[in-house]
Amino acid sequence: TVSGTVTDGSNSMPLPGVNVIIKGTTTGTSTDFDGKYSLSVNNGDTLVFSFVGFVNQEIVYNGQSKIDVVLQEDAAQLDEIVLIGYGSTTKQDATGAVDKVSDEDFNRGAIVAPEQLLAGKSAGVRITNNGGAAGEGSQIQIRGISSLSANQSPLIVVDGLPLDQRGVQGVRNALNAINPADIEDFVVLKDASATAIYGSRASNGVILITTKKGKTNSPLEIEYDLKASVQEVTNTVDVLSADQYRNLANISPAFDTSLTGNANTDWQDEIYQRATGAIHNVTASKGYENFNFRVNLNHVSQQGTLRTDLYERNALNTAFVQRLLDNDLKLTLTAKGIIDEYSYADTGAIGAAVAFDPTQPIFDQNGNFTELGDNLAPRNPLSLLEDNQNNNRSKRLISNFNIDYKFWFLKDLRFNLNAGIDYAENDGKQFNIANPNNPNAFAFQNFYSGLNRNTSLDFYFNYKKDVESINTVVDLTAGHAYQEFYISSNQTLTGAGGALITNPEIINRNGLESYFARASFDHDDKYLLSLSYRADISSRFSPDNRTGYFPGASFGWKISNEDFMKDSFISNLKLRGGWGVTGNQEVGNNYAYLGVYTPAINDQVSFFNNGQFIPTLRPNGFDENLKWEETTNYNLALDFGLFNDRLTGSVDAYYNETKDLLSFVPVPAGSNLTDQILTNVGELTSRGIELNLNGKIIQSDNLNWDTNFNITFQDVEVENLSLTDNPDFSIPTGGISGGTGNTIQILRPGFDPSTFFVFRQVYDTDGNPIEGAYVDVNGDNQITTADRQAYKKATPDAFIGFTNNFSYKAFDLSFTFRGSFGNYVYNNVASSNGALATAINAPGAFQPNVNASYLYTGFANQQLFSDYYVRRADFVRLDNLSLGYQLPFENLKVRASLTGTNLFVITDYDGLDPEIANGIDNNFYPRARSVVFGLNLTF
Amino acid sequence: RLDLVPEDNRLTAEAAFATEEGYEQAFAKLYAGLAVTGQNTTGQPDIVSDDEGASGYIRSIWKCQELPTDEAIIGWNDGGIRALNTQTWTAGNDFTRAAYNRTIFQVTLVNEFLRQTTPEKLDARGETDEFKAVVNGYRVEARFLRALAYYHAMDLFGNVPFVTEDDPVGSFLPPQIMRSDLFDFIESELLAIESEIPAPRSNAYGRADRAAVWMLLAKLYMNAEVYTGTARYSDVITYANQIIGSGYTIPQIPYQYSFLADNDRNGAEEEVIFTVPFDGLNIQSYAGTTFLVHAPVGGTMSPSEFGINGGWGGLRTTPTFVEQFPGEENSADQRALFFTSGQSKEIEDIGSFTNGYAVTKWKNVDVNGNQGNDPSGEHADIDFPMFRLADVYLMYAEAHLRGGGGDMSTALGFVNEIRERAYGDSSGNISASDLTLDFILDERSRELYWEGHRRTDLIRYGRFSTQGTWAWKGGVPQGTTTSAFRDLMPLPANDLGVNTNLQQNPGY
Repeated sequence: TVSGTVTDGSNSMPLPGVNVIIKGTTTGTSTDFDGKYSLSVNNGDTLVFSFVGFVNQEIVYNGQSKIDVVLQEDAAQLDEIVLIGYGSTTKQDATGAVDKVSDEDFNRGAIVAPEQLLAGKSAGVRITNNGGAAGEGSQIQIRGISSLSANQSPLIVVDGLPLDQRGVQGVRNALNAINPADIEDFVVLKDASATAIYGSRASNGVILITTKKGKTNSPLEIEYDLKASVQEVTNTVDVLSADQYRNLANISPAFDTSLTGNANTDWQDEIYQRATGAIHNVTASKGYENFNFRVNLNHVSQQGTLRTDLYERNALNTAFVQRLLDNDLKLTLTAKGIIDEYSYADTGAIGAAVAFDPTQPIFDQNGNFTELGDNLAPRNPLSLLEDNQNNNRSKRLISNFNIDYKFWFLKDLRFNLNAGIDYAENDGKQFNIANPNNPNAFAFQNFYSGLNRNTSLDFYFNYKKDVESINTVVDLTAGHAYQEFYISSNQTLTGAGGALITNPEIINRNGLESYFARASFDHDDKYLLSLSYRADISSRFSPDNRTGYFPGASFGWKISNEDFMKDSFISNLKLRGGWGVTGNQEVGNNYAYLGVYTPAINDQVSFFNNGQFIPTLRPNGFDENLKWEETTNYNLALDFGLFNDRLTGSVDAYYNETKDLLSFVPVPAGSNLTDQILTNVGELTSRGIELNLNGKIIQSDNLNWDTNFNITFQDVEVENLSLTDNPDFSIPTGGISGGTGNTIQILRPGFDPSTFFVFRQVYDTDGNPIEGAYVDVNGDNQITTADRQAYKKATPDAFIGFTNNFSYKAFDLSFTFRGSFGNYVYNNVASSNGALATAINAPGAFQPNVNASYLYTGFANQQLFSDYYVRRADFVRLDNLSLGYQLPFENLKVRASLTGTNLFVITDYDGLDPEIANGIDNNFYPRARSVVFGLNLTF
Repeated sequence: RLDLVPEDNRLTAEAAFATEEGYEQAFAKLYAGLAVTGQNTTGQPDIVSDDEGASGYIRSIWKCQELPTDEAIIGWNDGGIRALNTQTWTAGNDFTRAAYNRTIFQVTLVNEFLRQTTPEKLDARGETDEFKAVVNGYRVEARFLRALAYYHAMDLFGNVPFVTEDDPVGSFLPPQIMRSDLFDFIESELLAIESEIPAPRSNAYGRADRAAVWMLLAKLYMNAEVYTGTARYSDVITYANQIIGSGYTIPQIPYQYSFLADNDRNGAEEEVIFTVPFDGLNIQSYAGTTFLVHAPVGGTMSPSEFGINGGWGGLRTTPTFVEQFPGEENSADQRALFFTSGQSKEIEDIGSFTNGYAVTKWKNVDVNGNQGNDPSGEHADIDFPMFRLADVYLMYAEAHLRGGGGDMSTALGFVNEIRERAYGDSSGNISASDLTLDFILDERSRELYWEGHRRTDLIRYGRFSTQGTWAWKGGVPQGTTTSAFRDLMPLPANDLGVNTNLQQNPGY
């Protein structure tokens, strides 16, 4: 019997889980938690020590009593496995724009939404959370947008199961079902050569999420993790104070002082609270020779900063792996059960607090919430929060079963099957009190429920062989996939007469059947070639247009493996390029190619015929020739590593061209059954350069400093929008408040899709805007809509992420900055409420408060379309700063941490927050600053 | 497995017309197209480019007919609405576009119904002869509704895209039809259905009958010179006589009764030739009389007097209109329905509700002052009297004066019948020498104001653009004349952008 300890050559730490096997047999063991092993052997046996990411070591046993082994990291193996969709490759051999972000790189803090782990970590990936609400989600964009009306979110695949890009009903963020603490890594597939294997859902990029599993031959590990947080709003909208508001009487005789009160109420102060939250994770994992498991129990409770806003989650996340038939058969089952509960605060309180008369007290003399007594007056913001309730509970199961089998007669041939289900049921109740400003109003009740079911079955064969005769590794994959989405919704709510009415059930089903194949070749570890092909058949199109074909091709040249590069300070250099075609069919409407008749939802829109109210049946607009939207992408990139990979990085340049855009556009009047339909019209291009740099600046026994910097330059342009190639054709977008039906953005060939469409403000010599004076662009001596100009845009020209991780002995420190440049925001809060008329021209006996921008502009009336309100919104934000300390126990790992998130924003933008996804700042739920205490125990 | 069809209450066309109810409901949608804006009060709109309420049939046409004239001014700040008041609209105007989209939508809706109910299809579906006769009746009324929509489109825009049931549904480019050719089409359609449609006053309430066909013909001929260059006043007399002979009367009840929540049963209905019914509970939209009753309430007006839960503080009128009435707001003419308390007659600031007298013509209360059916006071019961006898009387008088025949004493009698209702007695009666074309234009305004006729009338008299001024016309407070091309509204820029068959109206 021999025993010993295996340690890691890079840091001399013991390595648990190292396989120790007698060569040529299946006899062996693995090292324990302290890196120790013991095994009975015979003289002359060869011991093989192997561990993923390390060079194998073989030692012949000649009667030594103790064999201690130091394993060295394998430069090639170190090069981690990267999933690429229906298979995997290594970072070194990847030829597409593929980025892996793992556990140790994640953002820190009390993170509930998993996508936030990734914010600022990967070039080309822009993640903008939708505000500070409890359990809020984010807009995720990979390489800008590639579609106007179809879905713009990436396809997210969790352990092999593609999620519904539309999310699930009733929740703020469908991704919250994936516990951030449970995520092993994200792989972001950015270019089409990488994503084409996902065909018709890949135009917005693909994010592959792998959840944590137990490790083979590892001892029972129990981990408890706590993150307790306190959040506060950092900024509110600038409105007139009660005194400034009273002063309006000096400015305008129309200001009716009989309507004002004597209080000084800062309504925004009143609606926000110091919110607390806690995230608990208890995780147990253990691995045997052939079986391992991981079980995680998760509880989240998070208040929103808006009073009465609450999100709670309870989840059980499990993963089981069983190996059979001498490891040739691997069965993996993951199952997550999640209960999400939301108490939705009425976010109308945010707008009401901005508009409510600041001279009114919160409560009237009877102790009731003060109301202004006019049906169109803002409601008391606190009444909206306290008297209205909306609760939803969503139960969800996400499960995936995977079979991976190596054929006994041909070990190079593998069969992989995935069967997955994502099932969610939700049940919500809303109760609003009758509007106290309308004596005839009744209370509003709304009972809503729904079901989302996404079932998926896919399988593929993979054959991978090193064909030595031609010095080429051949990797071939071919498979089939079928996925079906079923969504139903029910609603019973207070109808026009005050009675409850039940709306007809809404059901939507769509299916997608696919065939896919990939061939990859690696010649001489220098020349890489990968080809992929997918055919997708979608139920959303007529049989004539139903099938779409999506090819992809890419190459790589590992220059650093060439002889002439030997002994260079360049440790790694790879040139890669790719081309591919991807599609988009995620249009929301399942039957847009069919002429469908829609009945009225209720009896409120009937026709009166012969003494009876007859319901109506409407033919909907449709395009029977509807087909795939197609994006062609080109990518050229250089990966490099310098100074023994102390500095690594990559530069990618890409160009995307989307044609046959699935656009919801005006059709020629008379040609269809409505004025806008979903049809294939227009072209969009986007191009960009992404730079990603990683540095190991200091590496020593006690002190380490890693840094990551990424920057993305991008440019998106609408090329064409109409069937007639008319370059002047444009479509108004970007609805704003301050009147009905107003828009502030425009889709126009030659411009970014988020371009604002405004009058050019004229300023006096002191730089103050002159009310109503705009540049007369067409010179007709009138200011008409013809003088509105395309001006600036909400999309940034560039954005960055900058992360640093320090560790010194048992301390660690990390921080992440994110920044955005060249983006503009239209301040709709200021434009709709920033005029004297806001107070004095209200449609009734009440006087709303005025936005503080009035103090600068002096505008008597709303100037909604002035470019004065289009504001530069460049920013740099310190997303998080985290300090951790590993307590010096022997048998218990204890880490304590303190994290601050959203600590400060550097910006010129004078509204609430410069980071507004669609560029229109209105009633935004403010992002909070939080302080998080974290405690992690492992034993 | 991938041939999926709707599994909820949505239907494919085959399924929709598999039942008799399906035909009736598809037919109901054609009429509902005049009143509601979609398949729910809001949120399921027929038209999506425009604000849902603003894109309704009556509201969109009403705004184009009233806001550019001396009858109405609006304080809101929505998109291009100010440009309607100031006659400075461009081809990009969203409110003219709304009227265009809605009228053409109505045409396509009818076309689809006609396509789905051809004799061949009815035979193929094995419908009974009895039911085929019912559907044929539907088809006749559908063609009236299409003629009506084309009439409104022709009146506003002149040369519009032209499609019939012979065209497909898709994204082809419809041809443009010239105004005079469209005139001929509308005329031929109306003449073709005249004998098939139910006799006057024999169809269900709210549905078109032969008198409605005659009325539309009369309006077509009344303005024929504008539309085609050829006057047809004698045809006006012909059809006016047929309508008048069908038993309609000017009820001797207060003028305001015609614009109240119970105007379908308070006697006012005796006058009405074609109406668009609304109901506070069952026929709701923000596009019909709900708009007409909410938008003019503001300032110190009491919403409850109007049977509503609150005003929208938008619509008032100009001093020019107030001055149409002798004694102005204190006129003995009961049609002078103004609210003046806290309001100035003059309009310095369009945006301020208190500038300009408010108009109290539309009220969602019955003759006893009780609010309409909707207990929340949101939606109105008032039916919109699109065509009524007073209009016919005034057309008769005008056509007579323009040489169309008829006789003076009949014309005078008609006008005095209207004025006797207005004054409650004969004190407002006029003599033959008073009955001039100018008087009729003014009388039409006094009688028919805020019912969506003014722009057409002013254009017929040549006083819409190059002649006639009132507050804010042309964009200046005192008002100024504008160019003649504004007698036609522009085709929407976005439709020109997608349909190369279209040529913009001159001047835009």
